[in-house]
Amino acid sequence: MKKYVMIHDENLCIGCQACSVACRNENDTSDGVYRLQVHAEMKGVFPNLKTNFLRHSCVMCENAPCVEVCPTKASFQTDEGIVLLDESICVSCKYCVLACPYDARYVDPITKNIGKCTFCFTNRVAGGEQPACVTVCPTDALTFGDANDYNSEVSKVIATNSIKYPKSELGTKPKLGFVENKKGGRYE
Amino acid sequence: MDSSRRNFLKGTAGIGTLAALEINLGANAADIINNGGDKSVFSFCEMCSSRCPIEAKIVDGKCKFIQGNKHYSTTGTSVCARGGAGVNQLYDKQRIVKPLIRVGERGSGKWRKASWEEALKYCADKLGEIAKTHGPESVVFTAKSSESHKQMTNFACSLGSPNIFSHWSCCPITYQVAFPHTFGGSLSRDYSKAKYIVNFGHNLFEGIDIKYTKKLAKTAAKEDTKLLVLEPRFSVVAAKADEWLPVKPGTDLAFVMALIHVWIRDSKYDKKFVEEYTIGIDEVKKAVKDTTPKWQEKITGIKSTDVERIADEIYKAAPKVIIDWGHKTTTTRAEYQRTRAIFIANALMGNIEKEGGLYFGKKAKTFNDLVGEELFPTLNDPNKAFKVPKTPRIDGAGEKGSKNYFIARKHGVLMDIAPAILNEKPYPVKAWVNTRFNHLINVVGEETTIKAIKKLDFILSVDIYMNDFTQFADVVLPESTYLERDESIQDKSGSLPAYYMRQKAIEPIGDTKNGYDIFRELARIMKIDQNYTWNTIDEFRMQQAKGNDKLLAALIKDGYVEWKVPKLYYREKKYVSKFVEKFPHASTFVDENGEMSSKVKFKTPSGKIELFSQQVEEALPGEGCIHPANMDVYDGHELCLMSGKTPIHTNGHTQNVKVLNDMMSESPIWINPRTAQKRGLKTGDRVLVENKFAKSYAKVMVTEGIREDSLFVYHGFGHISSGLKRTYGVGLNQSKLLNPAYGAVCSTMVTNVGVDIKKA
Ligand code: SF4
Ligand code: SF4
Ligand code: SF4
Repeated sequence: MKKYVMIHDENLCIGCQACSVACRNENDTSDGVYRLQVHAEMKGVFPNLKTNFLRHSCVMCENAPCVEVCPTKASFQTDEGIVLLDESICVSCKYCVLACPYDARYVDPITKNIGKCTFCFTNRVAGGEQPACVTVCPTDALTFGDANDYNSEVSKVIATNSIKYPKSELGTKPKLGFVENKKGGRYE
Repeated sequence: MDSSRRNFLKGTAGIGTLAALEINLGANAADIINNGGDKSVFSFCEMCSSRCPIEAKIVDGKCKFIQGNKHYSTTGTSVCARGGAGVNQLYDKQRIVKPLIRVGERGSGKWRKASWEEALKYCADKLGEIAKTHGPESVVFTAKSSESHKQMTNFACSLGSPNIFSHWSCCPITYQVAFPHTFGGSLSRDYSKAKYIVNFGHNLFEGIDIKYTKKLAKTAAKEDTKLLVLEPRFSVVAAKADEWLPVKPGTDLAFVMALIHVWIRDSKYDKKFVEEYTIGIDEVKKAVKDTTPKWQEKITGIKSTDVERIADEIYKAAPKVIIDWGHKTTTTRAEYQRTRAIFIANALMGNIEKEGGLYFGKKAKTFNDLVGEELFPTLNDPNKAFKVPKTPRIDGAGEKGSKNYFIARKHGVLMDIAPAILNEKPYPVKAWVNTRFNHLINVVGEETTIKAIKKLDFILSVDIYMNDFTQFADVVLPESTYLERDESIQDKSGSLPAYYMRQKAIEPIGDTKNGYDIFRELARIMKIDQNYTWNTIDEFRMQQAKGNDKLLAALIKDGYVEWKVPKLYYREKKYVSKFVEKFPHASTFVDENGEMSSKVKFKTPSGKIELFSQQVEEALPGEGCIHPANMDVYDGHELCLMSGKTPIHTNGHTQNVKVLNDMMSESPIWINPRTAQKRGLKTGDRVLVENKFAKSYAKVMVTEGIREDSLFVYHGFGHISSGLKRTYGVGLNQSKLLNPAYGAVCSTMVTNVGVDIKKA
């Protein structure tokens, strides 16, 4: 069985937001909410500075709190481990929104459905394409693929970098991992 | 629960089985089915001027998604935020989609809709009458550089006006002028193989051009390469650097001259290369005699020990070094000498036609000459029948004795337009034709420009939005966006011969036309179209391709075609021998060292790299060799206001595009916390920014990411057109505050300026 994983290399990411725009257009995201954002965070005191670009989206937990709390089983996991939502049985109780420790879910202001990143599973990945954000990233900071296939691009990235999984202490086992930013102003 | 759906979502069911499920699926799933039946059009982007190849995905006749063109391996499917937002611009309800004729006061925003027939006739009558009464040179033409610029130029030449302008003088003009002076032509940067890159705020991570951005990002992320960035602000390129030097604004020239000083003092430069390929090293030696690292310390704020260390690091990494001249080269009046100094620094490192250094772009013709046969198709240029009239221009560009002597007559000096209109010197200007250039946001002196505009008899603007300049037009002709336009074949050769072509992804929305048809039709109505050898864009393309329908068919199918030949750097044995292996004829050019030194030619008057330029010295005494003057951008003020690019917007063009506006709807001024504290300012405060040229209001953002003596603002805000409903009146247009005095030799508009700032 495939295990879809995404790695965001913060050294390559330039915070250009191409991924966010692509995501919005691909998924017709309503105004005011988002599935994906990249935040720029500048730290330090002039001239010893560092800017980190941090991706904020669903991290596709293997042990997903959002799935656990869902009373109607609308939130579920595919065999590849992708966490999705079945709108036809969702009752918009918002338990999942509260349960998600990554603040990754929202209530769509128009449809009132619950939304979040899906790794573009239904609209792209299932058809053999890459998620929209991965496709457009100008610096190839994003890698996506099957971690169970040792020859896949994503397996190579995992093998050659130390990958950080956010809030790993919670035991949610995310499938969105990060290569931490090493660069900063080294002016003495 | 619909079990069939659950099953699909759980497994990776094939697309083909989905059709049956359509009725039960949500919005996303409906898209899958459509995506299955996708049509793709391969074209290239116009959300900025980098022109990245794209793929437009069409679903049910609607353009749904834009990504990079996978056929162009350098960028692959990558596209930037603006490029992706092409879809949102295309379907924006605020676009102009009908010809408009002004009914209220000029600038009042009152229009009536007109048919194309009426609007074109109106323009033809007006322009004809003005040209007859005041001479065709009384009409000025402005455009952003692109194919619209070419079409507009053809029309201007047909009418008989030499007054043609592009955006060059407010952006890339410095290297456009300094390149021919130094190398006889322009060079490309081999970012992917470089070991050491010195970057003077060439912020490819915010002013994006995907082919370069991708390479620089990957090189910067490597462990064994060095990216050194000099910039007063902690920009994204600075954030990705191995070393960041927060240089004082405007003073890069002093730093480069100190590097050159050290290399010459220590005899650490490529003497063999300099001897063989350059002239003027003695003049350079004289010029840098006193420009020591200590001397520069007071000017730049960079420690002399750092300069010594860096000079050594660069020399050790040579020739795999790039000392980058950047793109928007408009920071000081010393810009020409800054760029020349950078070119000289590169030449001293002997990095020309070297891997990891600089190289000449090579087109089909170059490769055909090398291989000894016509293997690669070359293009015809149907535009060459159009010649810029020899009559004097309002800015004197290209004319002997003029301060703008070195400026190309198709590009001109934008800052001279408004004064020429107001002073009626050298002769009266009566009309202004513009296509897709926002003079009011991009060029110094908003108030002067508006005064000048009000004096004119006629203004035509071709645009897609009611932009600031367009708001003052008498007639607005709505152009189709790049996603609705077919255009000519473009040469995309770099290290390989390649072509690409803009193609319409969907039929034009509303009543819009492309630039080819607009200017062709105007010329026809005015009966000045004798040089037009085409009626339609198809005819134009066919002439270009010299009837090569295979080439055209390939371009229509893939939008981009290239020929895989081994890459060639003339001064790299390894590359030369690989090339000769494949194309034996090329061995005739190989010298005894295994290089192709006979091909390393420079189209300068001396045939060598001109470290000192006699032609410049003759025209403008004192400018033939580098010299450290005119670096001041403070003009007595404590603060210097700088501007630059954001990856989310393109100059003054995209602020009104909804998805981009949602992401970045304003552009506050960056200010250091200590500077802010002194003035009692905090983030969000409204401030008055002023100098002797103008005053303007802005919002403050306090950040550590900037020097205490500098301010920064992203360029492109402060729109005054009420037709741009989402961005009208938001933010500061720094062009308003700029000093109208511009740089010597290349006449660049200077975008750094001294200001005062106080709480409003
Ligand atoms: S597109 Fe890539 S580089 Fe740009 S913000 Fe997203 S992940 Fe970062
Ligand atoms: S990040 Fe949140 S929404 Fe995504 S799988 Fe984990 S808990 Fe669920
Ligand atoms: S950099 Fe972005 S906006 Fe500019 S041409 Fe490339 S994709 Fe388009």
